Amino acid sequence: MERVKTGIAGLDEMLGGGFLPQAANLVEGAPGTGKSTLGMQFIYNGITQFNQPGLILTFEEFAQQYHDDAANFGWDLRALEQANKLRVIMTSPEVSYSDLGGVDGRIQAMIKEIGAQRILVDSLSHFDRLSEDPVVRRGILYGFINSLKREGLTSLLTRESNALIGELESPEEDVAFVADSYLLLRYVEIESAIRKALLVLKLRGSDHAKDIRQYEITRNGIEVQSKFEGREGIMSGSPRRMADSFVEAFVRR
Amino acid sequence: MSDSDSNLPEWQPSQPRKRSPLPGTGDLSRRLMDDMDPEVLEFLKTTVNSFIKWDLVIFFFENPHTTDTIDNIARYIGRDATVIKADLEDLVRAGVLDQHASGTLTVYSLTKDVQVREKIKHFVSASDDRQFRVKAIYHLIRGTR
Repeated sequence: MERVKTGIAGLDEMLGGGFLPQAANLVEGAPGTGKSTLGMQFIYNGITQFNQPGLILTFEEFAQQYHDDAANFGWDLRALEQANKLRVIMTSPEVSYSDLGGVDGRIQAMIKEIGAQRILVDSLSHFDRLSEDPVVRRGILYGFINSLKREGLTSLLTRESNALIGELESPEEDVAFVADSYLLLRYVEIESAIRKALLVLKLRGSDHAKDIRQYEITRNGIEVQSKFEGREGIMSGSPRRMADSFVEAFVRR
Repeated sequence: MSDSDSNLPEWQPSQPRKRSPLPGTGDLSRRLMDDMDPEVLEFLKTTVNSFIKWDLVIFFFENPHTTDTIDNIARYIGRDATVIKADLEDLVRAGVLDQHASGTLTVYSLTKDVQVREKIKHFVSASDDRQFRVKAIYHLIRGTR
């Protein structure tokens, strides 16, 4: 099956070539880990490298903020909008859910207008306010994600994580179950410096890399690098050298 | 009433003040508006004739694909929904915004009318100029009196 490439070299490799077509892909991370950057890069590369128009659905940041943030990486989103390859839509979860669930909605019209194939939803965390009941919320998310699939969109859905560093939170079950893939972005402390780690936790119906990779947000966007060698406990936020673990496990007994 | 108060002349609400121009100034407002682009001035007088409408027009100009409820739009421009309701509806009547139903929700978005969009663009472009803003603010303040 042909994959939907992110255009981010190391990431596509981790995903076995890219996301699956029309799949819902969840990216979770703490503030500043680069979720929106990764999403913008997915959309920008889709348009400029793979001729796949895209939509950015934002529930928090203004369109102008996206234009400015993207410009820092040399991505001219305004020009892509003028070329009818992109739409940055500032709206709310309730309106987008209602629009996509009905017929002849404005967002549906924009998808058709530009022939969108990709969408960034930033962020899914805002759906939390629609219901406190996890069963109802899961139903809403399930409906919303299916409406994106119905429109033929491969989606990248961001979700905020409260944990900056430390123990891994239990995954948000409502979204993690509904999403087809689940990427985790984490801060890691190594020798008094903060690094960033990326892990593909789930990729439905396909094999994927199980290692934890380092990544950086450079002037060109996200760059996925090598895996963390010789350390363990990366996702705990405070990894140890494997030699230390060996001493702890065997020598000190 | 204290002694000191009784010494004051009786205060009476004054008659409405006559807004006579200061000697030598003429009608300041008219003079300020005289050198404005007539099309922009007309748009200011008839359409963007309040600060809230100005905020809304700028917001929709910068976020032209926004489609949302009155509560969320109010939040985006940092105001209360009850405060913006009348102005939002005025902009719908003026053809700047479209109002439509999305399920049970009433949502607003920028008009697709190319001519109106051009007027908005023209207005926003003019309002980037400080001199224009000063004049337009003066005009709006006068209008609120």
